[in-house]
Amino acid sequence: MRTFLLLLLFSLPSFAKPLVVTSFSILGDMVHEIGQDKIDVKTLVGPNQDCHIFEPRPQDAKELERADLVVVNGLGFEGWMDRLVDASGFKGTVLVATTGVRPLRSTLQGHTFIDPHAWHSLKNAATYVDNIVNGLSTLMPGEAAFFKAQGKAYTQSLKALEKDVSQKLASIPVEKRKVMTGHAAFGYLGREFDIAFYSPVGMSTEAEPSAKTVASLIQKVRAENIRAVFIENISNPRLIEQIAQETGTHVGGVLYSDALSPPGTEADTYLKMMRFNLSSLIKGMGEGDTSSKQSP
Amino acid sequence: MIDLFFSPFLDYIFLRRALMACFALALGCGPVGVLLVLRRMSLMGDALAHALLPGAALGFLIGGLSLPAMGLGGFLVGFLVALLAGAISRFTILNEDASFAGFYLISLAIGVLIVSTQGNQVDLMHILFGTILAVDSMSLLIVASITSFTLFVLALIYRPLLIECFDPGFLRVIGGRGSLYHSLFLILVALNLVAAFQALGTLMALGMMMLPAVSSRLWARHVWSLFLLSSFFAVISGYFGLLLSYHLEWPSGPSIILVAGVIYGVSLLMAPFGTLKQQQGVAA
Amino acid sequence: MEPSPSSLWGRLTKKHPTIHSTLQGPISIDIQHLSVKYPDNPVISDLACHFEAPELWAIAGPNGAGKSTLLKTLLGLQKFKEGKITFRGFCPCDVAYLTQQNQLDRRFPLTVGDTIAMGLFREVGIFRRYTKAQRNKMQDALEQVGLASFAKTPLQALSGGQFQRVLFARLILQDAPVIFLDEPFTGVDGRTIEDLMSLLHRWVKEGRLVLAVLHDLDLAREHFPKMLLLARHFYKAGPTKKVLTKEHMREAVAASRQWENTGGTP
Repeated sequence: MRTFLLLLLFSLPSFAKPLVVTSFSILGDMVHEIGQDKIDVKTLVGPNQDCHIFEPRPQDAKELERADLVVVNGLGFEGWMDRLVDASGFKGTVLVATTGVRPLRSTLQGHTFIDPHAWHSLKNAATYVDNIVNGLSTLMPGEAAFFKAQGKAYTQSLKALEKDVSQKLASIPVEKRKVMTGHAAFGYLGREFDIAFYSPVGMSTEAEPSAKTVASLIQKVRAENIRAVFIENISNPRLIEQIAQETGTHVGGVLYSDALSPPGTEADTYLKMMRFNLSSLIKGMGEGDTSSKQSP
Repeated sequence: MIDLFFSPFLDYIFLRRALMACFALALGCGPVGVLLVLRRMSLMGDALAHALLPGAALGFLIGGLSLPAMGLGGFLVGFLVALLAGAISRFTILNEDASFAGFYLISLAIGVLIVSTQGNQVDLMHILFGTILAVDSMSLLIVASITSFTLFVLALIYRPLLIECFDPGFLRVIGGRGSLYHSLFLILVALNLVAAFQALGTLMALGMMMLPAVSSRLWARHVWSLFLLSSFFAVISGYFGLLLSYHLEWPSGPSIILVAGVIYGVSLLMAPFGTLKQQQGVAA
Repeated sequence: MEPSPSSLWGRLTKKHPTIHSTLQGPISIDIQHLSVKYPDNPVISDLACHFEAPELWAIAGPNGAGKSTLLKTLLGLQKFKEGKITFRGFCPCDVAYLTQQNQLDRRFPLTVGDTIAMGLFREVGIFRRYTKAQRNKMQDALEQVGLASFAKTPLQALSGGQFQRVLFARLILQDAPVIFLDEPFTGVDGRTIEDLMSLLHRWVKEGRLVLAVLHDLDLAREHFPKMLLLARHFYKAGPTKKVLTKEHMREAVAASRQWENTGGTP
């Protein structure tokens, strides 16, 4: 009798929904949009948190062990993921959301880096969605049709947003499409919408800037009259504020770079985040039309 | 020539501010660093940097990502830990460095606990610890005030503090309230460190406090000379470090510490009390 | 009702005996039934002794017999379990105390002048300047110890003997009615010992009470009129000639060995 009950107990989990663990909030949101209530989604790096410097805890390893599928961004964004997977003993599939994405390479001081922030391009987001749909379908073949339908609907929303943004952007000439941000997170956005992004720090929030980089940035802001300066939700705003002060620009607001905002706020889903970021950017760049003043 | 050594500071406000911050920091940390070295507390700065984590975490819990809240929290806890360590060393067999090691590790663990269980993965220390290239007016004001306060207090309690460093037993016997001066000194250390961390980051703050002080020990034999020399070395490190960061595109904090390190290396070789001169048998 | 000392609460609330001092009367130290214990280690047991100014006392005995501990206890640096200590004519903070030399950092960046000036700390306070009279006193003290031109010399540059002289100069400046010295002549050259010894004699002539813990029994026999021979629970106090006998020495050594052999149980 006892054995039977134990067997029952151990087989119970298989009746529950599959657990999908994602690395950070943006992926978590996307997976949720597509999987809806067919799956349980858990995210390791939550809203307003910094994935670059994340340090996993034992409960993260535990969660990973229970997971049926793990979804990561890839492109070097989660430096800690390999070790965590090893430590947790997770033997299942790790889905890399950026599979098939054309990575952006940039050169800083002679070194070439791959930019991991691929989700800032709406076209790439569509690739993310496709990969997620495939991954979930492999996990739950019975629901494949459902996932495909969700994926299709989501991709439609992405396309609609893209169209909307392109229209609004059209009114801003290319010379005015210059923005300064905290760290180099928006390369893909820049490539997609033809916006030039500048920042004092490279692609990781851990790096420390050199005086030359900051000075060059100040020169650039002055020379090219960059009016749009933004801080980010996850990093120290002081450096940007300093540069803004010295060049006489002012900080145009917050951009969400590596994480969503907390639930119930302006950027708590990927779509809302992109919409929010893009409208802030358009507004900031648009203000460059007013008469400029150079700082001393 | 001018371009090499002066133009960067003339052209950019942020560099001028950085230099001013270095200067203010050097004046305050110079003497404090020397005293730390004399009291054999050289590693306290590093330990203190870790010890103040729970304070900053509590400050964050109460006041959000506000610098004053976190800074104040950090300072209070850091000072508390240092005080406890001193008290323990007075009443038990443990030396001050051993008891401080014990406390700061506990403090650090509590800090990590608080940070982890509150679920927020923004690196609190990234927020609390700044960079010298981003010294705004508020940070500069704080650093300058703390430096002034430090110099004022040091001038006031210079005599008994020195006695307490050299011969604490003597002070105790003549009823000199040694523990009072010791506590005041600890307050100064904690204050200077927290202010420096906020403005300049951990590496820079500690480096500016300890390296020039250690270097100065190799050149001078009088306490006043040590103070002045230490501050001087710190200013030089700041100045040339910033220039290096500008001309060679190196990160600013490490550049400054590197210059301080070079000064230390040169001192080891060339200074009257460094290695070469000692080996040549020059009378001390 | 006194809580029993063996319980934890008892131990926490038990009051420790303190040193009584009154500023009246001639300068003297009276010790009754003094016992000082480190945990399970009775360093001093039931000691009774009386010191009165002007006297020059040597405190001698086998190593670890409690000599330094006695000085520390008298100064309040060491708690004692039982007994009564009474100071008359002065208080513990009036005592000038010379610790064993190895506890000070001789490479500390001070000059001789800075170091001896500490002796005037109680007079001059935290930030008053030194007056001309005080400066003269400092120079005089240096002359007394034979370091007249050394005021600006860094401590680092001194020999062992010279460093000890500096500490003596500091004592002179303290101008204390009672002086405690803990092994003041260890590691010091013969010439310096002679010079410093004459200082001790001078102090007694000036009416002070001087207690010195010594290792060198010949020195004690030659220069110190009074002696306290201390070996844990064994002690003898009085004129040196009477105290420093072969018999007493044997008893002292036996007493300290007895403790070592029995591992602490009296």
